[in-house]
Amino acid sequence: MNPTTRNKIRRTVGRAASVLTLTACLGVLPTGCRVEAPERTEAEERARSTGYRGILLVDADPRPDFVLTDLRGEAFDFRAETEGKLALLFFGYTYCPDICPVHMASLAAVKRDLSVNEQRGMRVVFVTADPRRDTPERLREWLGNFDRDFVGLRGSEAEVDSIMLSLGLPPAIRDTVSGPDYAVGHASQVIAFPPGDGFRVIYTFGTRQADWKHDLPRLLNP
Amino acid sequence: MNGLQWWCSAQTAAWTWSPRPFPGVWLLVALLVGVYWLLGRFAGEPAGASERSRDRKGKWAWFGGVLVLWIALDWPVGALSGYLASAHMLQYLLTVLAAPPLLLLGVPVGAWRRLASSSGAVRVVRFLTHPLIALAIFQLVLLYTHVPSVVDRLMVTPSGSFAIDTLWLTAGLVFWWPVVAPVPARPWFGYPLKMGYLFLSTVLNTMPYAFLTFGELPFYGIYELAPPVGLLGPREDQQLAGLMMKVGGGVILWTAITILFFRWYSREGEAEGPAPSF
Repeated sequence: MNPTTRNKIRRTVGRAASVLTLTACLGVLPTGCRVEAPERTEAEERARSTGYRGILLVDADPRPDFVLTDLRGEAFDFRAETEGKLALLFFGYTYCPDICPVHMASLAAVKRDLSVNEQRGMRVVFVTADPRRDTPERLREWLGNFDRDFVGLRGSEAEVDSIMLSLGLPPAIRDTVSGPDYAVGHASQVIAFPPGDGFRVIYTFGTRQADWKHDLPRLLNP
Repeated sequence: MNGLQWWCSAQTAAWTWSPRPFPGVWLLVALLVGVYWLLGRFAGEPAGASERSRDRKGKWAWFGGVLVLWIALDWPVGALSGYLASAHMLQYLLTVLAAPPLLLLGVPVGAWRRLASSSGAVRVVRFLTHPLIALAIFQLVLLYTHVPSVVDRLMVTPSGSFAIDTLWLTAGLVFWWPVVAPVPARPWFGYPLKMGYLFLSTVLNTMPYAFLTFGELPFYGIYELAPPVGLLGPREDQQLAGLMMKVGGGVILWTAITILFFRWYSREGEAEGPAPSF
């Protein structure tokens, strides 16, 4: 073999080796270990200091005591029905184009990953802030798209607003003058009440499934 | 509220099927039409009937490539790529794997000849489009533009989204160049190696495919938190994106491999056929 050919082969092999090494290194990064969503600094920072990726409120009041109507038309006593369980309370409306379906979809997806016992130990309660349009049928159908065990509650606008105020949330703003497709301004956070109460954790819009996956087991067994 | 955007990007407003204009995309399409006209000027008159016929077919390929790009970048695919990872993947497949070979096939023969006569340009092209370099560029761009933090950061602004699309188109052109372009001449990179090159890229895209399809959770914040479109949840959307990468990418690459194989086969046949009669 003449030196030129040898050099050519050496160069080609060298190039091939560097390309393959580079590609392998880059490929191993996302696939070599267990595939998981990337950690995010803000939620991660919170988890490092409080144990939760949500916003922890210590020394909070016990879970609220209110009674609204469930989708079977029966009275639902929030405190009694969720006692000893993790309650995840959210105020929204079924015509909501963004925040409400994203929160519900995330919770439903992560709930499916939990064990049956863990699933039994939690209740997701969705209170409509738009009782005019959110009929029991519509609420049932909408919530059923996510999880049939999610609880849908209705009350008068005044009742719902007063519960929101009692939780430190702003009351809903229903822009009914803009026509039948009006938007409802409402608080965007899910409030988590762990089984023993004593504290709450707030999950604002932007909470990812990775955050729920991290926090739900801790909330179930604080 | 969706205002006028020059290029599509991720949105926080709910998706609607009302068409939206993206002037930047139209400008790109006009630019590519202009480039074809310039290439024609640069190429000069075709030398002979076969070259004229080849250029006529090339014209269809070029405008086919422009059309594919237009579909990939404009409403609705471009706009949906701000809401769904699967739409973003469709955009990727069209921009990287479908449009570039068509554009390269559309370059007039005379333009290739003129390029080959410019030694400086050939030196640059020779380096960038060396199969190993081209494959590395392609893989790097593929991996970089699918890293969740990169996608989440870039896709939220028109300029970031434009940067991704430009990277894709450039990487696509570089990747397909050794397979399609006649300049620089690489006699050693014949049909078997071209097929091997494309085959290797089908193997390498298994990594991001696995990353997307078998991920336990949604990786991309912009798609996970985007206003929902239809009944597809973020996890299913991401899995669909991964499958599209593997299956859609595989179909395009294997189609190219098959075409190359038959060309190789027919050329071998010609070489081994009966001696030409005089």
